[in-house]
Amino acid sequence: MSKGEIIAGYLAPHPPHLVYGENPPQNEPRSQGGWEQLRWAYERARKTLDELRPDVLLVHSPHWITQQGHHFLGVPHLAGKSVDPIFPNLFRYQFALDVDVELAQACAAEGARLGLTTKMMRNPQFRVDYGTITTLHMIRPQWDIPVVGISANNSPYYLTTEEGLEEMDILGRATRAAIEASGRRAVLLASNTLCHYHFHEEPEPPEDMSKEHPENMAGYLWDMRIIDLLRRGRVKETFEVLPRFIEEAFAEVKSGAFTWMFAAMGYPELPGELHGYGTVIGTGNAVMEWNLVKAGLARAA
Amino acid sequence: MPIVAALLVPGSPLPQVARSNPPWGALADALDAAGEALARAAPETLVVYSTQWLAVLDELWLTRPRMQGQHVDDNWHEYGALPYDIRIDTALTSAIIAATPAIGVRSKGVDYDGFPLDTGTIVASHFLNANGHAALAVAANNLYHDWRTTEQLGRVAAEQAQALGRRVAFIGVGGLSGSFFRGTMDVASDRIASAADDNWNRRMLGLLEQGEMQAFRAACPDYARQARVDMGFKHCAFVMGALDWQVSGATVHGYGPLYGAGGAVVEFKLP
Repeated sequence: MSKGEIIAGYLAPHPPHLVYGENPPQNEPRSQGGWEQLRWAYERARKTLDELRPDVLLVHSPHWITQQGHHFLGVPHLAGKSVDPIFPNLFRYQFALDVDVELAQACAAEGARLGLTTKMMRNPQFRVDYGTITTLHMIRPQWDIPVVGISANNSPYYLTTEEGLEEMDILGRATRAAIEASGRRAVLLASNTLCHYHFHEEPEPPEDMSKEHPENMAGYLWDMRIIDLLRRGRVKETFEVLPRFIEEAFAEVKSGAFTWMFAAMGYPELPGELHGYGTVIGTGNAVMEWNLVKAGLARAA
Repeated sequence: MPIVAALLVPGSPLPQVARSNPPWGALADALDAAGEALARAAPETLVVYSTQWLAVLDELWLTRPRMQGQHVDDNWHEYGALPYDIRIDTALTSAIIAATPAIGVRSKGVDYDGFPLDTGTIVASHFLNANGHAALAVAANNLYHDWRTTEQLGRVAAEQAQALGRRVAFIGVGGLSGSFFRGTMDVASDRIASAADDNWNRRMLGLLEQGEMQAFRAACPDYARQARVDMGFKHCAFVMGALDWQVSGATVHGYGPLYGAGGAVVEFKLP
């Protein structure tokens, strides 16, 4: 078996509004569209993902929150209806996904070996969270690639931000080791919004784009600063300012997916490709890609 | 008086799914006792505020007449599914939704097949409404609502119950001290995570038992902050808003650890 590797990482935010705006057959509510800039950004990301031909997609979602450890989906096939508890008017989605249980177990074992509390989720009645489903649908609506789903342990909120993100760094390194041992060609999906300030009332209809804009200018400026750094490949500098970004922009990257992904990739000083940026109820969302094959850091299929 | 009972109960699934574990079984026994007391009060509707149903846009309320299903907790999935079958008092809930704009809060009803009830609401319903005699009115915990707004929501709900002549019980579902154990442990030796938390919890429960409501009320902000109380103790704010703080004391049916966090079953004595 050849050594497995991470072939790309995507910043792949999960507002359910994007699924709602697209009107896929799996989602009950119907819309008149909306959030096209972000949806078209995902269209570009879908194409590059397709070209990469990964064996597995790993997604870390802030909406599967666990207190005791980092959990991994551990049932070979999960299906059901996922209704978003926060936006049930927008997201009522019939999902069916296959889990790469072998790799999930390996990630959990590596995490435990590095000192993390990890747990496999073996309950077939488990309702997969809308963050995981939205990110997966937006990046790969065919649902034909096995998945490793990872919970967001609430350590960055329970401990200090720095302590929590250190755990996510360990989780990322464990993920990388597991992937390498597995022989898989893996793509990582960090399901995170950037600035997370948002409006507190929903327009009617929700897809009224005349009401959509950044919730505040300071948060927007922070998003542009972070994206600019990432586009120029200044990853080390990005992580140096990350705690301030989290604090001042209430950034959702605090929940750990972004750190997990970069730790797994080895924090490459590699320019990220911005597929698009847009706001959803005022929050800042960027779809970005770090293609390690294009950069010569991983092998093509 | 339409409010015939008021309680605070923990929303953790552990007493329900693992009551054979002595520390959690003691809380399950306390919840059973509270359920028996509630049955004697015979409310028509339980008005529930659960810290675990999170909202960020508007204030959400369940408006689906009947909700049945199985729920698997995000964290404690290894213990199996929690079955539920609840009826919603849609008339009272609609009245509350219509009334909250008067306090500057826009409310919305939630009436969707497959909507995921939160663990706290399910656990409270299991212990306090086992026979399903009472309907429920269930409010979400909007993360951006402060103590004062949550108090006002409770008050509005009580006013609407009064206007409809409902016999209601107010149930605040949430924890006490919020520090917990993050790793694996011997659950049989579960305990409150720190002596400081334990002291805070016992002090606050003591004030309630003695009916020292002024002192209790004054201590709530420090307690919420220093003991990291579940969601700022807003489940208590909701119930106190409904009661307008008119409480003469309380019976603490049980107090104990839930993987290090504090949980208590408190039945308020109404004047």
